[in-house]
Amino acid sequence: MNYLFHILIMIGIYSIFIQSLNIVMGYTGLVSLSQAAFYGIGAYATALLMINFNVNFFIAVLISIVITVLLSFIVSIPSLRLKGDYFILATLGFQIIIFSILYNWVELTRGPYGIPGIPSPQIANFNFDNPSKFLVLSTIFALLVNYILYLITSIKFGLILKSIREDEIVVSTFGKNTTRFKIISFSIGAGIAAIAGSLYATYVTYIDPTSFTLNESILLVTILSIGGSGNIIGPIVGTLILILLPEFLRFLEIPDSIAANIRIMLYALVLILILIYKPQGIAGEYEPE
Amino acid sequence: MFIQLLVNGICSASLLAIAAIGFALVYNTTNYFHFAYGAIYTSAAYLIYWFYLILKLPLIISLLLTFLIVSLLSLSIEQIVYKPLEARYNSSVAILISSFGVYLFIINFIAMIAGNEVKILSPGIEKTFQFGSVIVTRIQLIGVFAFIIVLISYVLFLRTKSGLLLRGYSINPNLTIALGYNPHKIRYFIFIVSSILAAIASIISAFDVGFDPNIGSNVVLLSAVALIIGGVKIYESPILGAFIIGILQSIIIWQISARWVDTFVFLLLILFLLFKPTGILGKKLRVEEVR
Amino acid sequence: MNRNNYDILTLKNLTKIFGGVAAVDNVNIGFRKNYITALIGPNGAGKTTIFNLISGIYNPTSGEIFFNKIKIDNLPPYRIAQLGIARLYQDIRVFRKLSVLENILVAFSDTEGENFLDGILKRRKVLDFQKQQIEKAKEYINFVGLDGYENQLAENLSYGQQKLLAIARLMATNAELLLLDEPASGIHPELINKISNLILDLKEKGKTIIFIEHNINVVLNIADWVYLFDEGKVVAFGLPEEIVYDKTTREVYLGV
Repeated sequence: MNYLFHILIMIGIYSIFIQSLNIVMGYTGLVSLSQAAFYGIGAYATALLMINFNVNFFIAVLISIVITVLLSFIVSIPSLRLKGDYFILATLGFQIIIFSILYNWVELTRGPYGIPGIPSPQIANFNFDNPSKFLVLSTIFALLVNYILYLITSIKFGLILKSIREDEIVVSTFGKNTTRFKIISFSIGAGIAAIAGSLYATYVTYIDPTSFTLNESILLVTILSIGGSGNIIGPIVGTLILILLPEFLRFLEIPDSIAANIRIMLYALVLILILIYKPQGIAGEYEPE
Repeated sequence: MFIQLLVNGICSASLLAIAAIGFALVYNTTNYFHFAYGAIYTSAAYLIYWFYLILKLPLIISLLLTFLIVSLLSLSIEQIVYKPLEARYNSSVAILISSFGVYLFIINFIAMIAGNEVKILSPGIEKTFQFGSVIVTRIQLIGVFAFIIVLISYVLFLRTKSGLLLRGYSINPNLTIALGYNPHKIRYFIFIVSSILAAIASIISAFDVGFDPNIGSNVVLLSAVALIIGGVKIYESPILGAFIIGILQSIIIWQISARWVDTFVFLLLILFLLFKPTGILGKKLRVEEVR
Repeated sequence: MNRNNYDILTLKNLTKIFGGVAAVDNVNIGFRKNYITALIGPNGAGKTTIFNLISGIYNPTSGEIFFNKIKIDNLPPYRIAQLGIARLYQDIRVFRKLSVLENILVAFSDTEGENFLDGILKRRKVLDFQKQQIEKAKEYINFVGLDGYENQLAENLSYGQQKLLAIARLMATNAELLLLDEPASGIHPELINKISNLILDLKEKGKTIIFIEHNINVVLNIADWVYLFDEGKVVAFGLPEEIVYDKTTREVYLGV
């Protein structure tokens, strides 16, 4: 039963993480390789605030969102005025150095040793310290984030993001400051990733830099493209594929040491097939055009 | 001390320049952000390891086999993945995303077979040479030497008819095709040469500091940064950019610490994006080309 | 002084050089308010480049552009659009994955609903406003004759219908100055008539229109004034009948 809880919790956390890329890439058409970095900043910020300063989880999440969004401006402000390739490169660079900072700034992050003993979230006297209780928390967060995204994208703001995705120059000649919208969209994505990271940190109670690498960012782009993006349901399909496929592979009795590699190779193959034959993914709206 | 670091910087810049020229060749002619280039770079290191250390073939044979296989690999990527997508789509986002898929596939294949740990090609102490107070290893000298050869070939090639054809193709592909030149041959050439350049840089670096499945992504990043610092679409810029990065890396190691090298290179990129996105040599670029 | 008797847009010594070639070469012309002015000339004469310069997509190599006495050549495209200039593109460029209705909603200049926080905090107000916008959008859809297609994705429309959508979108901006790049190309004569009448209606409503066109009949039917371009320069100007039948025009088009 605990195992089922675990799967459901991971689905909840990952569905938040994937939505962070969905608003940036699926709605606004920006390919970001930084999402795992934001996920990591959220995780580390929350963990450190809770351990070193005894901050309550919910306050820590808010603070980590602010920190992550502020850091995201380093990428977005210089590069979003320019053409797409510059932005992608900036997100690539940011992802790589955030990993480098998490790994090397040992005084702050304990580097490769990671941060153990992250406390579980607590409110009033209620402690989310076992899987069934944490599931309640993660599910509420997942529903909340998805709902907020729905609220944000169902107004003109969402429409403008989508039109930027379709043809940015035309949108700007219709009087919209597209750079500003892109920056806001990217900031929202960073904040959402930070929420996912905070949940992850308090669930697994031990984090180290290896969960927040470039490969994780690339994998996220892959999964989102397979499941589909630009709407609310595509990313959920993607999440299910990511979390459930390894369970399925387990039946095939592939040795653990290579199972992770085989999994990713499969995703990569499916991605290429999707791009050639069904570019909007399984359940998405956005096509790379 | 600084001179030593400067020389180290020049040596690593030489290898980066070779890789950056390869990346630039693809980007300048096709406009693809060829992220899979990183996977080709990584494959070369593992191939030479397999041929030279495992199968114990002579070095020359190992090198030739490695070059052959990376060329085939590069061409396959172009034919199987990029070409169908190019036909289907207008923008290059699909190709970019597909190149992530190719990268992931190849890297994980390598990790599955050969493991994730760092490997080295030449155990033991490298032979060194001393010039005044500066010490360089044999591998570093080979790297600089290789760069000089690549540089001379590159400059000469750009002046030949084929080189001019290449520059023409990147400025105006349709006109080049209309003049009767075969665009497929041009692309095959680009993908083969770029993979060999990546292989050269990768192999020398592998002998120098070892390798693991993740070395490719950093090379793509630094090559792309070199292009931007130098000025995109300008043929000299990967070299200029690579050396600026190499020198900067040396300065940071000297003044601050090796841990922060990556961060400062990234900050350099951000500075250029903020103030001079057209790059150092980019006077000729129209503002429209970057916005 | 007649309120309409002035140049709403002026190009002063406007030059744009690409790779050593002047696509627009020292152009000095004005566009009278509430006129329909046609730009004609062979392909490559610089007409679309002029539109790109006015819209702010290109910066001039030298020279200036003034709109309602305001210097606009150094402004970003979105600021220029906000001042009251809107554009119809030669290759249409509707938002393909958005519906007809959504295409028009994007074009409205009201910023209500553009702040993402309002989606959460002021939701009722935003949704009510959106209902009004949808009604207004339906009026434009009706005006161009695309009734029934409100929820169709733009990519599913025919070329002619997409053109009508682009015009509706243009009208939704409520811009003073409309730049139309080949409004009559690629569509059958009935539709050409319809669009010509739409343009005349827009003039009735007080708009100023500049359009690029190869279809000489359309130019004769609706233009108040014509500029003839060749190789980046204005080589003739005047009333449509004068220009269309002029010797210069024939030379320029046929290269005689």
